[in-house]
Amino acid sequence: MKALTANRLIDGEVVFWRNGQWVEQFGDAQLFNDDDPAGEAAEAHGKNQPTVVVEPYLIDLTQSQGLWAPVSYRERIRALGPTNLNHGKQADGGAAIEALQHAHGAARSTGRVDLIKRK
Amino acid sequence: MPTFIRLQAGAPALAEDPFTAVGDDQTIPPGDVIISLSRFQTEGEGLLSEGRQVGVRLESHEDVEALAYDLPRIAVVALAFPKFGDGRAYTSARLLRERFHFKGEVRAVGDVLREQAGYMVRCGFDAFEPADGSTAQAWERATHRFRHVYQRASDGRPVAFEGRGG
Amino acid sequence: MYRYDQIDKDILADRSAEFRGQVARRLAGELSEDQFKPLRLRNGLYLQLHAYMLRVAIPYGSLNPTQLRKLAWIGRTYDKGYGHFTTRTNLQFHWIKLADAPEILDALASVDMHAIQTSGNCIRNVTADPYAGATAEEIDDPRVWAEAIRQWSTIHPEFNWLPRKFKIAVSAAAKDRTAAKTHDIGLNLKRARDGVLGFEVMVGGGLGRLPHIAPTVRPFLPAQRLFSYLEAILRVYNRHGRRDNIHKARIKILVAALGAEEFARQVEAEWEKIGTSADLPDTELARIRGAFAPTAFETLPAVSEAFEAAKARSPAFARFARNNLKPHKVAGYAIVEISLKAIGQTPGDATAEQMEVVADLAERFGQDDIRVTHEQNLVLPHVKLDDAPAVWAALAEAGLATANMNLVSDIIACPGLDYCALANARSISVAQNIAAKFADAERAERVGELKIKISGCINACGHHHVGHIGILGVDKKGEEFYQLTLGGSAAEDAGVGQALGPALPYERVAEAVDTLVDVYLRERQGAERFLDTFRRTGVAPFKEAVYADVH
Ligand code: SF4
Repeated sequence: MKALTANRLIDGEVVFWRNGQWVEQFGDAQLFNDDDPAGEAAEAHGKNQPTVVVEPYLIDLTQSQGLWAPVSYRERIRALGPTNLNHGKQADGGAAIEALQHAHGAARSTGRVDLIKRK
Repeated sequence: MPTFIRLQAGAPALAEDPFTAVGDDQTIPPGDVIISLSRFQTEGEGLLSEGRQVGVRLESHEDVEALAYDLPRIAVVALAFPKFGDGRAYTSARLLRERFHFKGEVRAVGDVLREQAGYMVRCGFDAFEPADGSTAQAWERATHRFRHVYQRASDGRPVAFEGRGG
Repeated sequence: MYRYDQIDKDILADRSAEFRGQVARRLAGELSEDQFKPLRLRNGLYLQLHAYMLRVAIPYGSLNPTQLRKLAWIGRTYDKGYGHFTTRTNLQFHWIKLADAPEILDALASVDMHAIQTSGNCIRNVTADPYAGATAEEIDDPRVWAEAIRQWSTIHPEFNWLPRKFKIAVSAAAKDRTAAKTHDIGLNLKRARDGVLGFEVMVGGGLGRLPHIAPTVRPFLPAQRLFSYLEAILRVYNRHGRRDNIHKARIKILVAALGAEEFARQVEAEWEKIGTSADLPDTELARIRGAFAPTAFETLPAVSEAFEAAKARSPAFARFARNNLKPHKVAGYAIVEISLKAIGQTPGDATAEQMEVVADLAERFGQDDIRVTHEQNLVLPHVKLDDAPAVWAALAEAGLATANMNLVSDIIACPGLDYCALANARSISVAQNIAAKFADAERAERVGELKIKISGCINACGHHHVGHIGILGVDKKGEEFYQLTLGGSAAEDAGVGQALGPALPYERVAEAVDTLVDVYLRERQGAERFLDTFRRTGVAPFKEAVYADVH
């Protein structure tokens, strides 16, 4: 499974793609099957919005306790916030955030070159 | 025809470009031309003897020193910016003006954006082929963005410390 | 503090207006991200993991209370109520919006501050000895020279688009507190035998992927010739530095490729052609010197009774005095180091409230002077010994009185994977885990000077190569791993550390450091520091202990 993410141009906020819109919570992101061309179509669409977002890219997800979470540790930090302070998206709390915080079965660290930028 | 801006009495103005830039694989048309350094070294003599004006294009890795003895008979030195972040041409321009006292035109070609206008003018460029479609007005504003400068350069602008009167 | 005149202020205002226009054009789509990025970087603005980060310049680490209060205000208004002091003595805000950046630059300009050239391939914020003007060791006040370099390098017409970033440090004493030899140019103030002021010029140091300690290219440069010489160095670099490979673009690679001697020869040849026209007139140097606010010291006895009594009364204060107070050039005064490394906190972070406390203390007790060190701490350079107990009490109340200067818990750490878009692994929590092992202040003091430096990737913002213990985050099959190096130093005995062995997983790092310290305590002779012991014994005993259970 994959999701499409980027940083919003005007404020740098981490955003996720959902049916043509950019949303702020990973829990609201649209999920694409690995072989679903809609993922890459969405990415292409995002790249055509240079005044809305910066550098959209697809990230790989893994299943954890029945929920989907980013494989890479870096992407989980982006989806939650830093680990040294309760800042960023995690500060809002909620079930989806908590599930992400407790996600198991994902690699601990980045692997972003292979996992995220993979075309 | 790309935009061509030249400093006239210190102010950027839209101008007609009398020169034709000629690539190494093109035949040389009549009139005034800008050619590469290597082409100048083989064909420059002949072109000059025909009585036309000749300009030389230097790539950013080419040293201005290669032109030192030819400068008096060259009308234009076009310094290339392969990317706008490649800053070698600033040094080339200063050397042309300050070390070799070149009086002809120093032209910025390639990835030339208005953000560089102030730096270019300070280093002695007086002609520009902006790649961003800048107007002469936009170029003028960018050139005069800063009311003061801290360093001596090729433009002879008074430096901050001169105004401070020690 | 150097006091800005109208010219200095106008330049900041013009720069801010320029950037406001560039942001507007980016938002309107007139500038692409590729075009805009180098422009925003030259104004200190990065796009990091969670938001934009703004890196504010603190030239040669010098601040006044008004400026520090403004930084606190910015932190509260535009960020999440704090800021992060860096190894370049800058301050970073981690939660900035692009749309707010022009306003913030205006706010900074209102107190004579800016973010000019805190990033990008240009001459960066110049650093200097944080004890400038306060230590008896100094040859001359490095701030005068650093300010002159700041002005010269600001919006330099020729050197704003270099092959790579360029960092200059000015050290002013035999004891180097600037890590001069890890800079692109390290300048060390010296006096010739006849009394003439000058610099030892070191070029081509740098950390990152290929660490280099800068060789000396000129043992003595007369001070009035500084700017023509800098111009010659920068020109040789601008022309011949590599632009085809970002990892080989720093001047260290050029110096190493040519050899220090040939590089020096090219610089000298260029310097001769430049002549004296590029030098700064003595009158301007004198003006800059005069524009620093004067410090007025009272005549005080060398021994302060109030200070001695407070030490006798409070072991905690005595500990603080032992570790955080340094000798001042004037009798009855001290240099007070403020640790931003409280156990469990993020190294280098200060809340808005803490910044205000320090600003107040500088105003009341410290001649309006505050410094930032490259080790991510703050300094009040001029405090009367009589006032030290009051300063300490106020710091303690604000959580700023940790008595661990230069000790094992005084750890340098970059933001790492918690914030930085380039990171491989976290740095902050590794620092926190290690500090927790040495929470016992007595034990930490027994261990003595030990500099741990942590970077979250090979860019080495945390200076790991030159840590007595260096820790580098690496990515190993998708997991956070850490490569340890031992025996580096950033001081006058500079050297690059030696690898300990295979990288360790996150969970094992703090425990490994603990083991290394135990080995040192076992092996040390006399008053040896960790570094001295390591340099005597070599890596073997340390390696054996850390990897014992792996064999
Ligand atoms: S060392 Fe790497 S991870 Fe740390 S701040 Fe620098 S670039 Fe980021």
